[in-house]
Amino acid sequence: MEYLASTILLIGIFVILAASYNLIIGYGGLNTVAHPIFFALGAYTSGLLGAATGLPAVVCVLAGVAVAMAASFVLAITTLRISGDYLLIASLGFQLGLLQLVNNVEFTGGPAGLSSIPDTFAGPGRGAIYVVICTAAAALVVWAIWRTMNGPFGRAVRAMRDDELACAALGRSLIGMKIRIFALGCGAAGLAGGIYAYYFQYISPEQFQVAQSAEILTMVVLGGIGTTLGPIVGALVLVVLPQAINFLHLPNGLVGPAQGIIFTALVILFLFLRPGGLVGTAGAGAAH
Amino acid sequence: MDPILRIDDLCKAFGGIVVADHVALSIAPGEILGLIGPNGAGKTSLFNLISGVVAPDSGKIHLEGREIDGLKLHDRARAGVARTWQHMRLFRTMTVLENMLVGPRGYPGESLLASVLGTGRVRRAETDACDRAMSILDRMGLAATAEHIVVDLPFGQQKLIGLARALMNDGRLLLLDEPMAGVEGSNYLTMQRVVHDEAAAGRAICVVEHNVGFIKDLCTTAVFMAQGRILQRGTVEELTHSRELTELYFGTAEAH
Repeated sequence: MEYLASTILLIGIFVILAASYNLIIGYGGLNTVAHPIFFALGAYTSGLLGAATGLPAVVCVLAGVAVAMAASFVLAITTLRISGDYLLIASLGFQLGLLQLVNNVEFTGGPAGLSSIPDTFAGPGRGAIYVVICTAAAALVVWAIWRTMNGPFGRAVRAMRDDELACAALGRSLIGMKIRIFALGCGAAGLAGGIYAYYFQYISPEQFQVAQSAEILTMVVLGGIGTTLGPIVGALVLVVLPQAINFLHLPNGLVGPAQGIIFTALVILFLFLRPGGLVGTAGAGAAH
Repeated sequence: MDPILRIDDLCKAFGGIVVADHVALSIAPGEILGLIGPNGAGKTSLFNLISGVVAPDSGKIHLEGREIDGLKLHDRARAGVARTWQHMRLFRTMTVLENMLVGPRGYPGESLLASVLGTGRVRRAETDACDRAMSILDRMGLAATAEHIVVDLPFGQQKLIGLARALMNDGRLLLLDEPMAGVEGSNYLTMQRVVHDEAAAGRAICVVEHNVGFIKDLCTTAVFMAQGRILQRGTVEELTHSRELTELYFGTAEAH
């Protein structure tokens, strides 16, 4: 039962991460790899605050969201001067640098991680409560992104992705839109981090490495970049599939390589054969 | 009548290449001014300076009496500078109508929160903008294309949509960068008619074209530019009959 709950919870967490990453990279066309760090900021802020002050979990998680949003502002203003591949490199520096900081300061627990996060909703129904909260949070995030991208604001964002100069010459403030896109997307990642920290009660820097953005990107591409349902489908497939591989009872030494080969093959196959992803129409996902 | 656009002593150089050399220019309401001159004369650069794509080294630009040379690109659009692009720069993944709806100035939907909540103000602005977009498209005979992805349309229609999108801005100044190039037949006549109508409605219009024939069909007055300087201003007839200028343009003394 607990196994099922943690699997569903992970699906919810990755739905939030994939949907918010899709907002930034798929709809906004802002090439960043610094998504796991905002997941980490949410997790560490809420975990540390909860451990140190004993404030209610809701407050701590919201503080995590706020910190992730505030940090995203730094990334957003770098886009004033750089974009495209250069933004990718700057975001890589942002991700690696901040995670190094988490790894090397004392109060985060360093590489050993943080394990003193208070147990909230202790009891037999704990897993079920978290599943409900996480599913509701995922639904809220997906809904908010869907509303955003299907309204006038989203239209202007898609216009910016298609042609920045033409969009600005029509009176749209590019930096204003980028700040909002990053704040919404990174804030959502922070929310995922808070729920993750409170549920698992243990976080460490290696859970938020840059390679994780490849995993989230795989979900986005597989499901359908620039679509509402794509990240949900992608997260579902890529959380469940590795668990399914575990049930094949392969020799231990083969599980890791098998997963790596399958995921890499999936990304390559999808990019060649179905760039729109599982839910996108063929070709429609060509956002860049 | 006060001019809508007034440029004083505008200078801009990229390294050693001078694209605007003490340019002074004004455009009155209802005027359709053609910019002619050889390649590299600084015509498109002048558009970029007026619309705010690049900042001038020195000089002043006034729009309806308001100084706009310090404003950013998007703020100049909000002040009422509308422009088109030689290569159209349409939003290629979007429909014709969606392209149009990015155009209005001061759109309340720009606010993320209002957009998510879908407040009454946003819905009314959306309805108004849709109505206006459809009436502009209708004037161009393009209403039936509203739901098409813009890049699926023929080239001539895309050129018209570039103009239509700029008209959504409803600014008093309209800068058209080679609106006629590659446009033929009925689309050509539509472009000509709409540009004339917009001038008649009191806008100041400036047109860059290479083809003097197009300039004759569109413009009331013209200036001749070369090497970032305005050499002469006059009617299209006067400029094309000037021996000196045709030599500069065509390299021979053949009157056009």
